Amino acid sequence: MILLHLFLVAITVSTTFSIEVNPKIFINNAECLVDLSTQLVKGECRLSLENNDDKPVNSVLYAFEPSIKSHVSFISAHQVFESNRLSLNVKPVILSGHEDKQFYQIDFNASRPLRSKGRAPLVVEYVLINALYPHPEEITQKDRQLMMFYGNAYLYSPYKSLKSSVKFQTGTRRIEDYTNINPVSLSSGDIIYGPFGSLEPFAYTQISLHYDNNTPFLKVTKLTRTIELSHWGNVAVTEVIDLVHHGAKLKGSFSRYDYQRETNSGISSVKSFKMYLPASATSVYYRDVIGNISTSNQRTLLDSVELDIRPRFPLFGGWKTHYTIGYNVPAYEYLYNSGEDYFLKMRLVDHLYDNMIIEDVTVRIILPEGSVDLDLKTTHPIIRLPDSLHYTYLDTIGRPTIQLQMSNVVESHISDFELKYKFPKVFMFHEPLIVIIAIYILFLTVIIWVRLDFSIAKDGQSETRQRISGIISAIIHHFERRASVYNSWDETLNKLKHSKDVSAYNTASKQIQADYKNESTSINELATKLKTESSELSDKLNEVQKAEKNLKELFGQTQSLYIDKLITGKVGRNQFVDLDSGLKRKKDECLEKINQLLKSLN
Amino acid sequence: MTLYKRYVSPVSPAVYPHLTLLLLSIGVFFTAWFFVYEVTGTKYTRNLKKELTISFVAALFTGFGLLFLLLWVGIYV
Repeated sequence: MILLHLFLVAITVSTTFSIEVNPKIFINNAECLVDLSTQLVKGECRLSLENNDDKPVNSVLYAFEPSIKSHVSFISAHQVFESNRLSLNVKPVILSGHEDKQFYQIDFNASRPLRSKGRAPLVVEYVLINALYPHPEEITQKDRQLMMFYGNAYLYSPYKSLKSSVKFQTGTRRIEDYTNINPVSLSSGDIIYGPFGSLEPFAYTQISLHYDNNTPFLKVTKLTRTIELSHWGNVAVTEVIDLVHHGAKLKGSFSRYDYQRETNSGISSVKSFKMYLPASATSVYYRDVIGNISTSNQRTLLDSVELDIRPRFPLFGGWKTHYTIGYNVPAYEYLYNSGEDYFLKMRLVDHLYDNMIIEDVTVRIILPEGSVDLDLKTTHPIIRLPDSLHYTYLDTIGRPTIQLQMSNVVESHISDFELKYKFPKVFMFHEPLIVIIAIYILFLTVIIWVRLDFSIAKDGQSETRQRISGIISAIIHHFERRASVYNSWDETLNKLKHSKDVSAYNTASKQIQADYKNESTSINELATKLKTESSELSDKLNEVQKAEKNLKELFGQTQSLYIDKLITGKVGRNQFVDLDSGLKRKKDECLEKINQLLKSLN
Repeated sequence: MTLYKRYVSPVSPAVYPHLTLLLLSIGVFFTAWFFVYEVTGTKYTRNLKKELTISFVAALFTGFGLLFLLLWVGIYV
């Protein structure tokens, strides 16, 4: 199926080049169907156009009466060829001498113009808003709601028509009154004017239809839709809605008792309505200024999430409500990228309730911090406000925000926008870096804080005590390191015992001796420091040093036993084992002694 | 348009809870170590290099842990 998205509707934007009505085009046959059964007026005109001109025509005009002009919200046109739907480009134009009317120029597909002496079918669809007036304007709770529609009995066209008929569908059998024009017929809620014969251009006879319409007359006066994109994989959508029932106003008081008891009570009021969210929507919330509204249900369907919204009170004519809907959708559904180029494709406005009317829409698209080169494309004309910055959690330079406005939006306007932007990947580390730096600053403050001395009087004693304990802990630290030097010495000695490789032992031994010397010098330095602080502890330390000297001697003995006696074979096996184990015992004893002495230092 | 591929976040949202718990527990461990070290030592025993190293590791893990905590609870920064 060929489906070219070439819709273009503009109420606000109008082109001003000179266009004239071609008198050689006429409408061979026209059948219009106007659906009045909801709060919207949905029209569909099937036209059969004929071109009597000598040359092919590339575009035709469609007109709206001066009285209807301000109610047009949406218009589209398509042609059907061999059961293929071909959408056509529609744009608003102004005709000199006809400034009171609203014209739309419908461009034919370049390959299929309206040929000379040829005919072509054309379907025009439009939606009018606020075109139904409650009559009476005020009703009581038990009354039914009646609507008045003022329209044209004929097809309103800049071209001459040969045959036409207009059918108004009210969706009810309760029709109070309708204008009688010959020929008119009424059958099960449908009022048909026509068929008429030849009609001049801009034929107009006002008709009025007065009928029962108890469908929800809900209008969103203000919608603020915020789309917040996060590259951590989420798109958060928030919609703040101001809703009003714009049907017949409620006269008198509201009785909850009658409302609950009688099924006919408050028939025009709206108790609940359904909203459709994207199928991947999660963590949906529905709240107002007081808080969460618990009277709502959510059902996950195959292709959408259905939200049954039930406001805190039934909405009667003239009553308003204000609420917020929010949900998350995963970013991979809408966001595409190629390197550092990103591409967001999402609905600019989404479904709020069936047959919705939104008077003012403000859409805010918040991109991640650091996004640049924003390039927005929309199918319907919008007013783009200057970009701003949005500040929220962990923001420093602010998130680029696109703001745009639309007005008089209906369901037919629901379409995707395309937003291209660039985002340097390093900006992903921006947020964690902020947290890390903040915590690190806290730690640095602590590091500085503990180094500050806020004491008023200097406490010499505790100062000395601290200094001594500092020296002692440093000494113990070095002792521990020296103990590990001994350990590695022990290991190399063991290796020597088995391999009898003296040269390998000597090289390993060199390193061990160097380490040993280092530690010993450090300990000796600290020992001299300690001597000035406390003679008692210094004595104890000397004892440790003595024991340590002993240990070193024992290691020396072991070394000479291995190298001079074992390897050269000067000693018998049994004798060696005796000597070795004797030394080992002595070493263990010595180590034990050192450890105990060190403990007593603390 | 054909060049564009579906965007996938660098870390799958499914592992945010696990990452949070893992990183935060490591972070809390190092933070505790840091504070214990600061409180038990005196100005004669503290080693600035050691303090800076422990606190940096603590900040690194706690920082990433907190970020994933935010993401887990739905604050998509």
